[in-house]
Amino acid sequence: MNLIFTLLSTRQYLSKEQLRQAIADYRDSSQLAFERKFERDKEELRELGITVETGSNDKYFDDEPGYRIRRDAVELPDLALSREEAAVLGLAAQVWEHAGLAQDSMSALVKLKAAGVTIDTDVVRMAEPKLSANEPAFDAAWDACTRRVPVAFDYRRPGQDPSRRHVQPWGIVSWRGRWYLTGHDTDRDAPRVFRLSRVVGEVTADGAPGSYEVPDDADVQATAASFLPSSPDRSAVLRIRRDRGQGLRRSAESTRALSDDLDEVVVPYASGWDLAAEIASYGPDVVVVEPSDLREAVVDRLRAAVQDAS
Amino acid sequence: MNRSGQQVLRMLALVPYLQGNEGVPVAEVAREFGVTPAQIRADLRLLMFTGVGEYAGELIDVDLGALDADDVVYIRDAEFMQRPLRLTSAEGIALIVALRTLRASATGAQLAVVDSALAKLESAVGGEVEAPVGVHLDEDDAAVRATIVDATAAGRRLRLEYVGAARDERTVREVDPQRVFVEQGRRYLEAWCLRAQDLRFFRFDRVVSAEATGDPVEDRTVAPRALGDGLFTVGADAASAVLDLDPAAHWLIEYYPVDELAAPDVGDGRRRVRLFASDLGWIRRLVLRNAGTVHVVEPASLRDDVVCWARSALDAYSDDDPTSQE
Repeated sequence: MNLIFTLLSTRQYLSKEQLRQAIADYRDSSQLAFERKFERDKEELRELGITVETGSNDKYFDDEPGYRIRRDAVELPDLALSREEAAVLGLAAQVWEHAGLAQDSMSALVKLKAAGVTIDTDVVRMAEPKLSANEPAFDAAWDACTRRVPVAFDYRRPGQDPSRRHVQPWGIVSWRGRWYLTGHDTDRDAPRVFRLSRVVGEVTADGAPGSYEVPDDADVQATAASFLPSSPDRSAVLRIRRDRGQGLRRSAESTRALSDDLDEVVVPYASGWDLAAEIASYGPDVVVVEPSDLREAVVDRLRAAVQDAS
Repeated sequence: MNRSGQQVLRMLALVPYLQGNEGVPVAEVAREFGVTPAQIRADLRLLMFTGVGEYAGELIDVDLGALDADDVVYIRDAEFMQRPLRLTSAEGIALIVALRTLRASATGAQLAVVDSALAKLESAVGGEVEAPVGVHLDEDDAAVRATIVDATAAGRRLRLEYVGAARDERTVREVDPQRVFVEQGRRYLEAWCLRAQDLRFFRFDRVVSAEATGDPVEDRTVAPRALGDGLFTVGADAASAVLDLDPAAHWLIEYYPVDELAAPDVGDGRRRVRLFASDLGWIRRLVLRNAGTVHVVEPASLRDDVVCWARSALDAYSDDDPTSQE
């Protein structure tokens, strides 16, 4: 703390010796212990995000380099937040249910309050999203993405033994409450998406921070989007009993009554596999008219259900 | 960051905060900083040993008399630090990702506020900030979403047309919105349902239509349900079934409330679970949906029911070849 305050209050560069004289804890230490403490403290400052500048007061003399902290580089600028913006930041600080990130959000908010920002979250009423991260591999993946550290880990696909993967992380994505790591799989030389809950054991660093480049946004977005449902490009014609098949009717393109208790419903879809599963779940209430491959997929599924019992 | 690092960060924010809030009660400082009053007192004692030098006027001075007598804080000789530090990149990323999550569930005018807060936040971070973190929420109807969020904010009753998950039916019900939240990447409304006379969760993507009735919500003191274990709590009256899952269906174990049971080892990777749900009809639909990879062990009535439904569905395909009928 004293080192921060002393460096912050000086316009001049202070030499190591001047700092040693100014700070009691340094002065009372042996030369060796002082050197060690000084290096440790500088490292701590770096972790707090405080850059210590080195330089010389007089460029014509080749004297010992000095140290200082530039106020404008480390002080929080005035953000001129409106009441609503401040409230939104207050709500944002409540989003994380992950202990470490909740702590980081809180200390960010504390700095804003220290800068005189009043935070009254009642000013805006919004949905209260929560983000949690229970996957043991989350912290390591988060760290690897934000610092661009290549990583290695054991990954278990369902029904298979774990295999060792080497990945240059691009980003992590939350979808339906689960976290996925996207990146370049160096063994397969291709982009891949990994579900963090399937990582077995430790995620270890496999290279230096910043030792690879993340391709442009488009690639990252496309990879992340690859596990999201694609948009419908086909339509199926279904016969649905009146007032049944509500889940399918919600997405209907058109509905036409065939009789008192039967409708013909046209439903757009992207994945025949998913739609066949949905249709089979309604049993006799929903029957596929076309296309024929969808009909067959549903019939196969129903036959499997019947065979199971015999 | 370790504990002492957190304490240093907090003390560095305390110095400008206390100068801007002279005579603030300790309890209020503790609340604002999210720690105990005892911790704030410990921070203050440490602060008195810091400063730009070690003589009077160079060390930060805390008014101990006021602190002990009135539980309020005055500090002096701290003019060398009047503004807090910039956000660290860890602090910045945590808030930026949280704001993106808020943005995903915001509507209308809220979007602009979130966007400007995001832009200002990015300028508050020291150095470059990379936040390669995305948050996807499921798509739902933007008009439905806006109606629900606005009515919740204004305290207005809603009429919802809703397709329930458990039974294959569409219902219209009037509800008094309590709050809107996001869980597992999906938006939900928690509301008092006038039909059920109880609190209910409504998933946005299952709402077919929503309109405000024009009535205000009734005043009720109901505590929101705790979401500690997720949306599905297993009550004593829950239905359950024992199922064998092929490897292709093991994902069900992570998605639904199940107890894993010891499976007879037949060497094909099957796992045996007891699955809980609101009623057996829902489980029957789940089994049909995953027919061939999910097998009913018990109850026998469910096994028969699944076969009966599948048979009568197959009959519909054999009796009637719809392509030739018209």
